Amino acid sequence: MGIKPLLTKDFATENLKQLAVYEKTGGYTGFKKALEMQPDALVDLVKASGLRGRGGAGFPTGNKWSFLPKGMYPRYLVCNADESEPGCFKDRYLMENSPHQVLEGILIASYAIGCNLAFIYIRGEYLPQTEALEAAIDEARQAGYLGKNVLGKGYDLDVILHRGAGAYICGEETAMLTSLEGYRGEPRLKPPFPAVKGLYGKPTVVNNVETVCNLPHIVLNGADWFKAIGTPTGSGTRLWCMSGHVNRPGNYEMENGTPIRELIEEHGGGVWKNRKLKAFQPGGASMMVLLPEHLDVGLDFDAIAKAGSLAGAGAMVVMDETTCMVDAARRYVKFFEHESCGKCTPCREGTYWMANIFDRFEGGEAKVGDIDLLLDIGYNIDGRSFCPLGDASTWFPRSVIKFFRDEFQEHISEKGCPFKKSVQEAVA
Amino acid sequence: MATVQTDQVTLTVNGQSVTVPKGTLILDAAKKVGIDIPIFCSHPKMAPVAVCRMCLVEVEKMPKLQPACAVYVAEGMVVKTTTEQVNKYQKGVLEFLLINHPLDCPICDKGGECPLQDQTYQYGPGASRYQFDKAHFDKSVPLSDKIVLDRERCILCWRCTRFSEEISGERELALIQRGVHTIIGTFNDEPAQSAYQGNWTEICPVGALTSRQYRFISRPWDLDRTPSVCPGCSMGCNIQIDARNNKIGRFQSRENVAVDDSWLCDFGRYSFPNFQRQSQERPRIRRGGRLEDVSYDEAIAFTVDGLKRAGGQAAGWASPADTNEELLLFRRLFRDVLRSPHLDHRSATVVDAEPGDMTLSIADIERLEHVVLLGGQEVIDAAPVLHLRLFKSQRKGVTVLKVGAGQVAEAVAGVSPDCTAVGILATEANKAAAVDLQTKLQRKIKGSVRRLIVTTGPNGRGAKDLGILPHLGPGYVALNGQAGTGRTEWPGAGLRALYVHESSPLHGFTPTDAESMWLPTVPLLVFHRFKPSPLDEMAHVILPGHAFTEKDGTVTNMEGRVQRIRKGIDAAWVREDWLVFQEIANQLGASWSYESVGQITSDLVRGLPPYMAVNQEARVLWSERP
Amino acid sequence: MPLAKPTVTQIQELAARYPSKQSAIIPALWAVQHEQGYVTDAAMSEIAQHLGLPPSLIEATASFYSMFLTRPEGRHDVVICVNAPCMLRGADEMAAYLERQLGVRDGATTSDGAITWHSTIECLGACGGAPMMQVDHRFEENLTPERIDAIIERLRTDPLPGPPHKGEGVEAPTPNKGEDVAQPKKPARPRARKN
Ligand SMILES: Cc1cc2nc3c(=O)[nH]c(=O)nc-3n(C[C@H](O)[C@H](O)[C@H](O)COP(=O)(O)O)c2cc1C
Ligand code: SF4
Ligand code: SF4
Ligand code: SF4
Ligand code: FES
Ligand code: FES
Repeated sequence: MGIKPLLTKDFATENLKQLAVYEKTGGYTGFKKALEMQPDALVDLVKASGLRGRGGAGFPTGNKWSFLPKGMYPRYLVCNADESEPGCFKDRYLMENSPHQVLEGILIASYAIGCNLAFIYIRGEYLPQTEALEAAIDEARQAGYLGKNVLGKGYDLDVILHRGAGAYICGEETAMLTSLEGYRGEPRLKPPFPAVKGLYGKPTVVNNVETVCNLPHIVLNGADWFKAIGTPTGSGTRLWCMSGHVNRPGNYEMENGTPIRELIEEHGGGVWKNRKLKAFQPGGASMMVLLPEHLDVGLDFDAIAKAGSLAGAGAMVVMDETTCMVDAARRYVKFFEHESCGKCTPCREGTYWMANIFDRFEGGEAKVGDIDLLLDIGYNIDGRSFCPLGDASTWFPRSVIKFFRDEFQEHISEKGCPFKKSVQEAVA
Repeated sequence: MATVQTDQVTLTVNGQSVTVPKGTLILDAAKKVGIDIPIFCSHPKMAPVAVCRMCLVEVEKMPKLQPACAVYVAEGMVVKTTTEQVNKYQKGVLEFLLINHPLDCPICDKGGECPLQDQTYQYGPGASRYQFDKAHFDKSVPLSDKIVLDRERCILCWRCTRFSEEISGERELALIQRGVHTIIGTFNDEPAQSAYQGNWTEICPVGALTSRQYRFISRPWDLDRTPSVCPGCSMGCNIQIDARNNKIGRFQSRENVAVDDSWLCDFGRYSFPNFQRQSQERPRIRRGGRLEDVSYDEAIAFTVDGLKRAGGQAAGWASPADTNEELLLFRRLFRDVLRSPHLDHRSATVVDAEPGDMTLSIADIERLEHVVLLGGQEVIDAAPVLHLRLFKSQRKGVTVLKVGAGQVAEAVAGVSPDCTAVGILATEANKAAAVDLQTKLQRKIKGSVRRLIVTTGPNGRGAKDLGILPHLGPGYVALNGQAGTGRTEWPGAGLRALYVHESSPLHGFTPTDAESMWLPTVPLLVFHRFKPSPLDEMAHVILPGHAFTEKDGTVTNMEGRVQRIRKGIDAAWVREDWLVFQEIANQLGASWSYESVGQITSDLVRGLPPYMAVNQEARVLWSERP
Repeated sequence: MPLAKPTVTQIQELAARYPSKQSAIIPALWAVQHEQGYVTDAAMSEIAQHLGLPPSLIEATASFYSMFLTRPEGRHDVVICVNAPCMLRGADEMAAYLERQLGVRDGATTSDGAITWHSTIECLGACGGAPMMQVDHRFEENLTPERIDAIIERLRTDPLPGPPHKGEGVEAPTPNKGEDVAQPKKPARPRARKN
């Protein structure tokens, strides 16, 4: 347990971005090995490794691949590099430090599923990362890793780097496909699932950046090696994006199952300014808040779910005792209001309504009934929305009301935020 | 027999067991046992999108509520639509929809027939818990000269944008911006060009899209509704005439899957002002060069007098908007009573009509492999709703080939030899080319080739079937040796009288240059019509008649489907047109004794058995003629 | 202003690149924004024409995404994140400082036409370096008032527009000279909410 650099082990190497340097660290040997294997054997290998998707839902990657209907071509792979979950910045880190690792993962996944055209959907705001990937793709194409007859093995593959333009919802896989097809990034009805009817109506696999970055290592070292890392239901490591009130925020690649306490206290250097921990939020903006009593929970999909939150996309937002939980919830709700695609009624209208109420708390005009009203609106959105964005917009605020109801009450009785220091004061 | 029916699924809805075909939506299965699930975005003609979330129901073994409009039934499914959870949630969705909805029902055109209003009443929350300003949007955006959009009332159900995408394929309406800012609009708010905009107003579940013509004219509950057929063209789309105080407020669609598939075109829908009566008119006759008001009896006597003198030299023109019943009497008046063969309903001479012109039905277009639109857009312009059928067919995989009327060779080249079913659509003017194409294709491909000739007017087909032609009798029998002259030959044919019967200003007798010179020389011009026209100036007798929208009867569309039209407006001071024909005939020596339109219809069927089809509003099948 | 030749060529190449030409809409909008600095209705019409698609489709897509600008902005684009993780590390204070130093409101352009700034609730993926901002799409992390001062100074004196201009042979867009300083960013259309 503890820090375990697997994907990030060579990140200290200078110029890792360059193909030659990446190759020197063992880069593309995984792909070369994969090319010697039968695609089906690769799928089985990834299944056996227990690798679960790192995009948020934690779905077993090998299983996802095996859902593709037999004999239906073309098939597409879309690498999800839309990372927009507030609190997450791991895919960015992977792309800017080692774009070739991302590409190698994409090559392996494409070969395994029999795809000849792969896409990387990267969020519009990640311009430097787009440039890094662009350069890597050019290099790889020149070196024969991409194009017709890859490495002389009779396999064709091209990669299109597609830049988004500012829409969190496009991280949701079906919305991503809609967006990639040139439309508004609105999620689609499931079923049919992308594996059956995805991009351009063809069988499609969507995999997160971090997910594919695991593939070269699994191919090189084997399923057993990977399974031996982490927990029984959570093989491998994850990059945790630590932010908020810690001394050393940043990305930490941790073996799955490591206690949260170790991440925050040891690697993050503990809560800053010698203050006390009030709460933390794993997973990202969507996920429920946890309390100091949960510090010994392991960094693992199942363990965090058991504790009442979700590991999601690997954020770890730390909040000290001075944090106004109402304001934190307000920001997230406003984020969801801003990012709601507007397709379905509960999310479109509900997030707008919740945001209005939160503003009322902030402005000191909230009424006693507003707390329960928020809960009730949350109830009417959660599980009723078209896609998980709507549902998730209610999770953090409702968990905050559950654990910190008194703070809401104080906002009402004190007609404003009891924590608010004057902004001017702090700046001056 | 113990066969396993694998295509049927049995489920229960609120404890009631129901068996439906596989691929049925929960919504429709529930409807089958009389359980109504409230909906907004779902529309039977469009693919499910499940965006409004109004129809969520409980399905056992599924953790979340499921949209009944988008989830298909499965064997053994247990659906509950009235649980506490569902009820609470329905209130919740309505509450969400209403937070930004102005609820200005009293001044809304949809008031009284608005699903949002109804459901708010039935399932909705009581007092509003929403205490903020509603989001404000533009309230009166002119989308075109026909449609106005109220963006505050819009509940973003996507029906109109889906129509634009899936039904008409014009992709003119789109969603713009996102989240709570989302609005409906055309590109840059430029005027919409679609020929099918009226449908948007019908499918909009709120008063966001409304017709400018209808704005605030009436409240839905004040309307008299009469099922009828569109007077616009030979498509024969089914309509409902909505009238108030005996004035037409609008034409609404009335679904007939075989014909209109529940849509209308704007030309037809907004043609109703043409059928509005301005004043009460009386018959007139010309005395000493001037028209003077007289009674019907006087005008009829005057007419009889003139016709008697003309005898076989009298010509009759009945409009292709007349009913079959009128046409039957009109034909008998000329052929049997006056013994004149000079009958026509056309405006130009075209290649002979024949039953082969309608071997292809409208609905069958969807089942073809290939369809050739000979004349391209011209065919669509002649019957706009055809485009919707063609687009639907195209989405189902039918290849639609549009070629110019002269491009028979290209059309032949465009169809592959192993094609199994080809259809040809053309207007009457291009019939010769269509027949030519059909012959050539028949030689080239192994499958069937059928054609459908688009006739003119809502009953152009009936006029042909019934023999309102100079050389054909009822049922397309040749008048061997007894053929008369057709309309284009009349000037210079030495005729002594002309009787023009016209039920619709859309399909009237518009004189050509030659006719304008000839008409003043005709000794007797009887003009039996609904609306004044320049022809009044030349007429010796003007007999006010009923409009298409004011009478009962039947009309036959391009494909030979016989459908009923009904009196939507009552102009009681106007004598029934058929009665006038009967009185004229009787004064000329006949002894007809029809007492109702129904009796004429019966006679019509007796004389022309394929018209039995009228009883099912089906197509006349000439091949099965006894 | 019609699109420049290289942009048109780029759009045509994009259309050929994807399995469906419609997929080229977003890249085409980027190409237009790189050339002209923002996306006008006329440009959307032109894209529609080159891609053979109805213009409503282009507007529907363009208006969905928050990064396509509908009016000219300053030479440099400064976006500061104020979502919760950044807020925890003082983003509000930095935003207030930025506003004071630039002297214009959130969403506006400085009178010298150098900088358009706005705050965003969209996490920009640098919470680990909060407070942060994106300056011409490059990350500036661990902001302090001093760092902000230095950045502003650099931008004010940089005569060239910041965002990337990829279309070869394409002239840099004419920046907003600060004429509509008072006007907030974003909506060009009667966007709606007035409260
Ligand atoms: C609202 C929403 C936003 C999402 N954003 C992202 C994202 O930014 N990046 C990502 O990889 N997955 C995101 N996901 C998850 C994807 O839908 C999908 O599950 C994932 O990309 C699959 O890849 P994986 O199996 O490798 O995890 C999001 C899901 C939702 C519902
Ligand atoms: S929940 Fe509905 S409105 Fe919200 S993002 Fe998903 S589909 Fe769009
Ligand atoms: S205008 Fe009417 S039909 Fe169109 S989305 Fe709005 S409510 Fe639905
Ligand atoms: S197609 Fe013809 S019948 Fe149908 S609505 Fe239009 S005009 Fe009327
Ligand atoms: S009717 Fe089912 S979601 Fe709208
Ligand atoms: S919250 Fe500001 S960058 Fe993530």
